[in-house]
Amino acid sequence: MAMKYLDKYPKNLAKSLWIMKPVWTAFKLFCKTVVHRPVTVLYPYEKEWIPENYRGRPGLRFDKCVGCGMCVRMCVTQAIKLIEVDDDNGNKVMRPQINIGRCAFCGYCAEYCPVDAMTVTPEYELAEYTRYDLLYGPRRLHYENTTPGMEVKLEVTLPSDIANGNPERRVHIFDVDKPELTDSKCIGCKKCSKVCPVNAVTMVEKGTNDKGKPIIRPEFDNAKCISCKNCVDACPKDALQIKEVL
Amino acid sequence: MVQYSSILDWINFSDPNANPFTPFLSDNLPYDICYGLWEIIGGALAWLINLLFPDNVVSAWLLDERTMVMFALVLFMLVIFIVAFVVVLLNLWMERKVLGRLMDRRGTMIGMKGFLQCVADGLKTFMKENTIPSKVDKMTYMWCVSLIVGLSCFVACMVPLSDRWYVVNYDTGLLIIMAFYALAPFFILVSGWAQNNKYSLIGGLRAAELMISYEVPMLIIIATVSLLAGSFNINDIVNLQSEIWLIIPMCLGFIVFFFCAIAECERPPFDIAEAETELVEGWQTEYAGMKWGLIMLADYLRGSVSCGMVAIMFLGGWTIPFIGGTALPEIVFLIKAWFVFFLMILVRGAIARVRPDQILNIGWKVFMPLAVFNLAIAVMLKVGGFY
Repeated sequence: MAMKYLDKYPKNLAKSLWIMKPVWTAFKLFCKTVVHRPVTVLYPYEKEWIPENYRGRPGLRFDKCVGCGMCVRMCVTQAIKLIEVDDDNGNKVMRPQINIGRCAFCGYCAEYCPVDAMTVTPEYELAEYTRYDLLYGPRRLHYENTTPGMEVKLEVTLPSDIANGNPERRVHIFDVDKPELTDSKCIGCKKCSKVCPVNAVTMVEKGTNDKGKPIIRPEFDNAKCISCKNCVDACPKDALQIKEVL
Repeated sequence: MVQYSSILDWINFSDPNANPFTPFLSDNLPYDICYGLWEIIGGALAWLINLLFPDNVVSAWLLDERTMVMFALVLFMLVIFIVAFVVVLLNLWMERKVLGRLMDRRGTMIGMKGFLQCVADGLKTFMKENTIPSKVDKMTYMWCVSLIVGLSCFVACMVPLSDRWYVVNYDTGLLIIMAFYALAPFFILVSGWAQNNKYSLIGGLRAAELMISYEVPMLIIIATVSLLAGSFNINDIVNLQSEIWLIIPMCLGFIVFFFCAIAECERPPFDIAEAETELVEGWQTEYAGMKWGLIMLADYLRGSVSCGMVAIMFLGGWTIPFIGGTALPEIVFLIKAWFVFFLMILVRGAIARVRPDQILNIGWKVFMPLAVFNLAIAVMLKVGGFY
């Protein structure tokens, strides 16, 4: 009888002691967490260390911004809008306004800002009582302790550069994206020079036409150009287009 | 021994302290405290009333010896229950903190290192709406929860903290505690029927199944201990262990009784009646608000009784070997009980819940032979003259 039972349910005492293994593991963890405190962070009282380029809410350096609208164009959730505000001297300038309720905290605006005026900030406690309070105007976007590490650089290695034996990373790919003029389409309307935020477009006379009127064509200062494509968008005859290096 | 012809003789006893059956003849510390307390309170009341209305009847009644004993007994009930209640709250706090540490968490953090979370939980359940489902059997539903909570409180008050802190010192103390302790699963089964809910019904049936699997080895262990002590009196069992704790000759019995005690108070890993991952809340599904809070309190009261029984039967109760009694035997006993509760928390944090068929296997094929083997060891020790 007993042998039959043991055949059916083989009992190995050493194997039955597996039950001690989880108990021992739990006891070891208990001893460890009594000496060293648990990993939990008491959030409202303690905060975790966050890196310098932590992608919290976007920040804006008002004086550096040129109002090119690159952030508006790059924003994936269309949270950014250019609005007209007074600057320190009382002039009307265009500056971005961000709806934090729509913001996805991707940091593209800081990454693509050609003048590094847009930054990311380590602020992430952004709860408000109304939706209207979530609108961050240009002055409110200012962040006090902006450091160079918060300017997100767009560092890339271009395939064309590698093919040419130049593997150094470009800090800003827009240094090489430049507008190009198709001369036959241009009518000389000067719109490109009006919309340029950095005054890189100058209109120059290039001889006269058949009727004796001057031919005006834009000339681009490559040192000043920030590749914001405002002139391309503004051109009524599609005479301008961006020549991309990629 | 006085013979009584009628129960009225017991009630109308002229001098309560001359009654040989009174548990408060001497060396009952909580009764002495309560008597002293009522001497102060009642004396002050009587003096105040006498000041306002000189030579009145109420003051004389308050200062009468029998009145003093009656009010001291009321205070005595309060003190005994409050001590058991505070011990349970400390158990609850310890469970939350230790379980948190076992899982690399912090546990509760509200006030006094998390102790006041119990109070917050109690207030929260107190403020909830007292809903009763329309299709339950209301009488059974309410009576079962009252009996479960009441029996648990009763048993928790029955456990003596030391040879001077007890309610009654019966010769059958261990049997009485265990008998009332084992009553609750019946009411769990009945309340499972009464709630008209499939989860409650399954929970109640599982409680009954759990009971038939652990109750027999547990009673065999109790019989073994009382066999060695020669008595069911808790004092005798504790005095037996003044030199060597029973855990050393009967370590098998300790293991079996420890796991049976976990099953008795339905704590994980034997909480199959209240398996919140399978059944919604088991047999407590339809109990809302303060009813549920009281059921949880009853669970923890039963847990503290389990710890107390393990400490009494195997860890020497309130004595320390080679030292004997100390100045504060209650504290010694409570430290032992809390150590047992710590082991229970460790088992709860480490081991997964057993299945209902596994608990039957464990009860009848593992614990039962071990308990019988342990009984054989005890008989050999008794025959050999060691005890």
